[in-house]
Amino acid sequence: MKHSQLKEIIKKKASKIEFAIVTNLENGLSEIYEPNKLLSKDFDIHKNQIENFFKLKKNGVIENTEIFVETYIRPIKVIIVGAVHIAQYLVDFAKSLNFEISIIDPRGYFASEQRFPDMKIINKWPEEAFKEIETNENSALIALTHDPKIDDPALQHALNKKFYYIGALGSKKTHENRCQRLKESGFDNEQINSIHGPIGIKLGGRSAPEIALSIIAQLVSETYKK
Amino acid sequence: MKNSFDEKILEEANDWIEANQKVVLATVIQTWGSSPRQVGSRMIVNEKGDFSGSVSGGCVESAVVRECMGLIKDNKPCKKIEFKVSNESAWEVGLACGGEISVYLEQII
Repeated sequence: MKHSQLKEIIKKKASKIEFAIVTNLENGLSEIYEPNKLLSKDFDIHKNQIENFFKLKKNGVIENTEIFVETYIRPIKVIIVGAVHIAQYLVDFAKSLNFEISIIDPRGYFASEQRFPDMKIINKWPEEAFKEIETNENSALIALTHDPKIDDPALQHALNKKFYYIGALGSKKTHENRCQRLKESGFDNEQINSIHGPIGIKLGGRSAPEIALSIIAQLVSETYKK
Repeated sequence: MKNSFDEKILEEANDWIEANQKVVLATVIQTWGSSPRQVGSRMIVNEKGDFSGSVSGGCVESAVVRECMGLIKDNKPCKKIEFKVSNESAWEVGLACGGEISVYLEQII
């Protein structure tokens, strides 16, 4: 592989573009595949199979050939509401996982750049903040403020957009009250039960990094269940 | 839903090259049976034998490092190597897990 191609791949990864690298294992030539992009003759004869790997988001050698396809998929969007201590550890853990994290917190003293270097922090109320993030059923929400003023609008947005993972921090009692409020706002039981509350798998730990670990474990597990 | 792991190996490879090191990229391209790392897993090796990332659970990395250093020495662009199950009684390179993997090595030029 040429160094210039490596740099192009890194650039595409950073800009969250979906693409594939196709490599001829016999002669070492490789190219970047993107939908609707012309491939050189060598690879074009396998175009259908390459497209198939790309659609299935699969890596592998095309059968009966020496062509290897490696697909790069867009990271899953995870929105954290509450730039709290736990969020700092979540950001740390998520670094080696393919999640794209945005943090929402209207409280400026929490959502500072010094606390979250190199992070996308939206210093607005959730209703306003969600206008800046495109979300869908492949998005995840982690609500950490346990303040109804901040968490509830975010939870409502996530339920309406059918996020595949919604988790909310808070004790059983806090969660019961939260469910009651959502019910009063018109959400049905199935929607409300889809919220993971109290958030996280049962690990037993109570410190911020331990809670963050239990949340990220649940998020990964739910991602693969889908 | 699928979510790819992202170990930032390519980014690290770029850092090494920009520090004037020669780098070989090793990628798992096929697996059979129970192999520890999935297709697409990567490691990088430089001319001194420093490495980062993995293609197995530590079973064949030493052999991959040797092969990669050989590729740099011989100035060859690429090579495909296969690893099979190891003989338990010998200190040979192989996969104790009973799987087989095929690894593709390519020099970044």
